Amino acid sequence: MSENKKWYSLDLGLNKTKKSSGTCGCGNAEGSCSSTPKKEEELSPDEFYEAAINASIGEERHKDGFDQVFDVKMDRRSAFRKLTASLLIGAGAVSTSCSVTTGDKSKEKAQIDWEEQFKGNYKLMTDEEKQGTIERLMRSYELRTDKNISMTAENAAEDVLFGYAFNISKCQGYMNCVSACVEENNQDRNSEMQYIRIHEMKDGEGFKFDKADDNYYHEVPAEGHFYMGTQCFHCDNPPCVEVCPVQATWKEEDGLVVIDYDWCVGCRYCMAACPYDGRRFNWSKPEVPENEVNKNQHYLGNRMRKKGVMEKCTFCVQRTRKGKNPACVEACPTGARIFGNLLDPKSTIRWVLENKKVFRLKEDLGTEPKFWYFMD
Amino acid sequence: MKNRTLIYYVVLLLGISLFSCKEKDGYHSISDKIEGESRPYHGNLSSEDLLMDTELIQITEGEFTFLIPERKGQIKSFACIECHSKPVSQMKGTTAQKAHWDITLNHANSDAMDCATCHNGEDMNSLNTLTGKNIDFNLSYKLCAQCHSSQFEDWKGGAHGKKVAGWAPPRASNTCVNCHNPHSPSFETRWPVQYNTQKGIERKEGLDH
Repeated sequence: MSENKKWYSLDLGLNKTKKSSGTCGCGNAEGSCSSTPKKEEELSPDEFYEAAINASIGEERHKDGFDQVFDVKMDRRSAFRKLTASLLIGAGAVSTSCSVTTGDKSKEKAQIDWEEQFKGNYKLMTDEEKQGTIERLMRSYELRTDKNISMTAENAAEDVLFGYAFNISKCQGYMNCVSACVEENNQDRNSEMQYIRIHEMKDGEGFKFDKADDNYYHEVPAEGHFYMGTQCFHCDNPPCVEVCPVQATWKEEDGLVVIDYDWCVGCRYCMAACPYDGRRFNWSKPEVPENEVNKNQHYLGNRMRKKGVMEKCTFCVQRTRKGKNPACVEACPTGARIFGNLLDPKSTIRWVLENKKVFRLKEDLGTEPKFWYFMD
Repeated sequence: MKNRTLIYYVVLLLGISLFSCKEKDGYHSISDKIEGESRPYHGNLSSEDLLMDTELIQITEGEFTFLIPERKGQIKSFACIECHSKPVSQMKGTTAQKAHWDITLNHANSDAMDCATCHNGEDMNSLNTLTGKNIDFNLSYKLCAQCHSSQFEDWKGGAHGKKVAGWAPPRASNTCVNCHNPHSPSFETRWPVQYNTQKGIERKEGLDH
């Protein structure tokens, strides 16, 4: 973990524990090992109280009278932070620390929760801080479920700008892409959230989304119909990013429009701003059966979300930043989906853009989607 | 005095043209951006690791050079001459057990195509062009390209068909027979793999638009 963090550190003495348990060979995280002097690591309730107060209000307690109130530099965010801090300390940390029966595990959990609560916006994090947060999230998952996940924080590669093309004449409406997407991206199974919609449209009527059916269940392709899919188009000029009041969503260097689920406040402005219905909201706590969880995760991609945050297609950032195709592209049985690097003149997506007659949805809005449609 | 106004206007015009047209990253549109920032990709990302498990061969068609999956190793009954030791004409009518009973040709109509359009009765180990030249089973796409020329163009460029692993170079594309059964190449109708019950309920209750 980096030393110059942008948030307060609550040290429950766990860093020390880690070092000492490293030297001891019993390998047991919980319970004590005879060679470890246990007394030193545990703070007495009084000491903890002191440390907690210090962490939450710091120097203010040394000021007196007037100064306590007026001689403080505080904006709304930090005021809010401090309020939450005291709540958290009151409710969580103190109880774990004061309890005699609490093990190292729950203390570690409290430590992680603390660090996670006060970490910064992912967009502003240094690579070290990014590494720190994914390590905490992996450890936290392990502590809660006894299972391991692998999470990465790969940054955008140089000379890469992702683009997508969809062949309307090829799509047959089998919806393999939809279920592959749900499985890959750990979407909530209860509300059956889906990023991709496949629209069944009548031949000869053109694109009429209000008359199209995106939840058909009959043999496909149906006579007299054609199919086309929509999802997040990863606009180069994304209106959803403009409206976010807390900058929890932004465009990455490789063109992916992503969300920091831990920074999102759930106002759903972005959902309203998106002209393509690309964004989804978690009205309830997303749940995925443990054996169905995709454990290859990315911080900005398919890691588990929580209630009250936005999510959306990320072009499978956990796959594409490793050179793979998104799950929908791989699952499509008809080859209607083409994905690639727009900046590489030799890529197939570039060939499509240069040789086929391509168009995008609602081009006149100036959103510059990086998702083109074409026909044979 | 007149000169001064002129200079003033020129400066103003310059100023406007300098500042007003600037987009955030200096481009008006995504196509400008693609053009402006295009350069051959020389990154660390590569699909080579992803392609390790697939046996591939390199082909060059026109200006395109890419990989396709090897085919002969995937055909269970290859090599064909293990049974077809004699030309087909001589094997017909013998009492030997019937083979290939599971293949029915459902490809174009019988006036246009029969087995001999692609297979060479004299040399079963290779395929046969319309003009009677031998084609290796690994390069069967050359046969398809004889009639399906527009699909062939799209496939070479990358608009038709699927990639083997990822977007990163080197490019490896599935060949025709990896998706299409050459004896019955069109896709069949079937049920979608999923139905969204929640969406169904919401629509029924009028919660959705």
